[in-house]
Amino acid sequence: MPSKEDLKRLAFQAIDDRADEIVGLAQTILKNPEPGFRETKTSKLVASKFAELSIPFKAGMAMTAVRGEITGGTAGPTLAILGEMDSLIVSEHPHADAETGAAHACGHHCQIAMLYGAALALSQSGVLQELSGRLIFMAVPAEEYIEIEYRDSLRREGKIEFLGGKPELIKLGEFDDVNLAMMLHTTSTPAEKQLCLSGTNNGTLAKKIQFIGLGAHAGGTPHLGINALNAATLALTAIHFNRETFQDSDTIRVHPIITKGGEAVSAVPADVRMETFVRGRTIEAIMDANMKVDRALKAGAMAVGAKVTIQTIPGYMPLSQNQEMADIFEANSVDLVGKENVGHVSHRTGSTDMGDVSQLMPVIHPYVGGASGIGHGADYVIEDYKLAVITAAKALTATAVDLLGDGAAKAGTIIGGHRPEMTKDEYLKFMRRMASEETFESE
Amino acid sequence: MLSTDRLKELACAAIDEKAAEIIDVAKDILAHPEPGYSETRTAQVVANKFTDLGIKYKQGLALTGVKGRFSGGAGPGPKVAILGELDSLLVSDHPHADSETTAAHACGHHCQIGMMLGATMGLMSPQVLEQLHGEIIPFAVPAEEFIEVERRLQLRADGKVEFLGGKQELIRLGEFDDVDMAVMCHTASDMGERKFAMGGTSNGHVVKYVQFLGRGAHAGSAPHRGINALNAATFALQAINANRELYKEEDTVRIHGIMTKGGEAVSAVPSEVKLEWRVRSSTPEAVARNSAIVDRCFKAGAMAVGASVKITNIPGYLPMRHDNTLQELFRKNSSALLGESSILVMSPGRNRGGSTDMGDLSHVIPVCHPYTSGAVGAGHSKDYVITDYQNAVVNPAKIMAMTVIDLLADGGVKAKEVLDRHRPIMKKDAYVKFQREQAEIVEYSGGA
Repeated sequence: MPSKEDLKRLAFQAIDDRADEIVGLAQTILKNPEPGFRETKTSKLVASKFAELSIPFKAGMAMTAVRGEITGGTAGPTLAILGEMDSLIVSEHPHADAETGAAHACGHHCQIAMLYGAALALSQSGVLQELSGRLIFMAVPAEEYIEIEYRDSLRREGKIEFLGGKPELIKLGEFDDVNLAMMLHTTSTPAEKQLCLSGTNNGTLAKKIQFIGLGAHAGGTPHLGINALNAATLALTAIHFNRETFQDSDTIRVHPIITKGGEAVSAVPADVRMETFVRGRTIEAIMDANMKVDRALKAGAMAVGAKVTIQTIPGYMPLSQNQEMADIFEANSVDLVGKENVGHVSHRTGSTDMGDVSQLMPVIHPYVGGASGIGHGADYVIEDYKLAVITAAKALTATAVDLLGDGAAKAGTIIGGHRPEMTKDEYLKFMRRMASEETFESE
Repeated sequence: MLSTDRLKELACAAIDEKAAEIIDVAKDILAHPEPGYSETRTAQVVANKFTDLGIKYKQGLALTGVKGRFSGGAGPGPKVAILGELDSLLVSDHPHADSETTAAHACGHHCQIGMMLGATMGLMSPQVLEQLHGEIIPFAVPAEEFIEVERRLQLRADGKVEFLGGKQELIRLGEFDDVDMAVMCHTASDMGERKFAMGGTSNGHVVKYVQFLGRGAHAGSAPHRGINALNAATFALQAINANRELYKEEDTVRIHGIMTKGGEAVSAVPSEVKLEWRVRSSTPEAVARNSAIVDRCFKAGAMAVGASVKITNIPGYLPMRHDNTLQELFRKNSSALLGESSILVMSPGRNRGGSTDMGDLSHVIPVCHPYTSGAVGAGHSKDYVITDYQNAVVNPAKIMAMTVIDLLADGGVKAKEVLDRHRPIMKKDAYVKFQREQAEIVEYSGGA
């Protein structure tokens, strides 16, 4: 029986043999960026790649997901490797779609390529027979929580219930038969080095806000109007007045934008809309900050006698990662890039729907370098595809081999020792309870 | 019998004789400024002068008011009051400020006492007085400036006053029940070449005493445990400013105030913040409308950070309504004394923006509240000083004496005409009821 090291060598060889093709896939997706729940071209591309590899798959769940599945030589647990398909919208990004403004300013195109590389290695190199259990390769939609207006319309049409890809897939049961999950995200942060173990992430919820005032001629009869823009700007001020009550340890982030600020400069703005996230390290911290944000929004409305409708939309759960899986990933990282090139971060204040998956099962969500620029910025580009895609694919592949090799002994230990935060039912109940819509009208 | 013009000449001559004395009174009061409801020394100056003049008086009215009374020699008739305001402001950097109390006469009230005494002296000339009918009531009144709200609220709590403005309180006490009409004259610094002005109107207002209550906490180690009352108040002020576009020009809205407590120690989250606030507008309806907007902003401030707020709404002043007949007498007499080109008559709609409790009295009896020159600098500021005491004290004393002669000579026929033509906006009881209704306490908790 070949050792795990032998299996990894075989798998790595398969990746190296087709490195150009794997990187080419990333670059194709880079040139065809599609934001969440609109990843039709990307989804088709993934499906065709799975077909080429003769990996059975199904597609179209949560609008665009593609889920391939292969089974090892003997029975065992199920490990999912995830890759996120969606782009951001950053119109000034060098690789932005001129028409839609969509751009891969967060490196997700590399995730699909590394997912493909791992699928290729694990399905084609002969290692599969030596593994126990199943491997699921899941191209998932809509990790970036953007275009809330569009996604909410999908929700109202009944096409999705949740506005993030993984929560929707959880609801649809696509994680019901998954025991462990992992993915690998690109990073441009030098401190995170070439491969980086991370700890926790903020959770978030999203809010859609509409201030409703009363239009009037801004020159002739401003006294007859109710200025919804003043309500909104005062609400922002009120939010800021609460910042000193956010605890450092809760890493609260509240960062609204105004999506509609009035219609014509000569009219008192009667309809002003905002979106914001409320992020925090724990669910309790998010709920506390959310209460303060709601209060601030109402204070803005009250200040000018306007009305405010606050829609709270479940976002993402805080991320926690399984330490034993992380240890395995770290060992493989050291083998691949050397100890000096492996970084560690403890908490990141962004949010990911991998957090939702982490509420249900052991997961890891480490980082791979190769990017430069500021994440979500116009200058975030991949400079080292060998690292961001090829080394990444190897790290995932090697970790899969460690988890499911030896009769999936490691995976079995991890699953046995893990106490999930929530069951799927509890998770769905919680998410649905977070969804609310409230209208506040000042006297 | 002497002609009215001759009576005026005699009165003016008597005032000229006493000019140095009445200017000295004004300067003495300037040197000893006392804010409203604490004008004890100033009141005693007036009482001593009344004693010297042999005028019977009551004192201690509305704490410090001094009310003299003497009769014309020609028989009964209408009762005309000549008012002078006793109180100073608080302007610590004023050149004549009391270094201890910061009180300062930055609105010229000290001249009012001088001119009130001067007019009285002129009218007491024996040849003049014996031809006048009715009664003359020289009346030194307290607390026209609506300041030191917290201190006055304490006086109210102690049962010493009910209303925080002097004339309001005197109306309530019945001290104007035996007064048919009242005149006074205020100094001004904004008249240009003119020496005397009349007409126009003033704003009504409501006064607010506002307390934001939060929760104290160590501002460094546990700000998340605190509720910042200063943030609540600051938000409320921004909200108030954001509403300014709602105010109509014709309402001459003035909304302003001060923060009398903004926290206790910089290392603690402020748990109590206090404001004194004022909402002025040209009509009582506009005052009520704009007062509601401001209250809503204070509540929004509480809600913004989860604090609570207590708004004590205090009856303020009513807009000024000059009696046309009285004003016409002032116009004629000031023109006669100073020349027609020195006189400014403002249209009734011309609102100076400020407020005075003479407005309250104007709703109950006929009044006139003209302005005299002699001051420079912005009113209520450190720069407001009297540079011409002839214009600020002597001339208005003469003009008021001449006007009272017009009213009470000839059997008091002119005063009767004033009374016949006047339609009071409110009777005293209705006024007191109206003002009591303005007093309310609004409490709001913005906690979630």
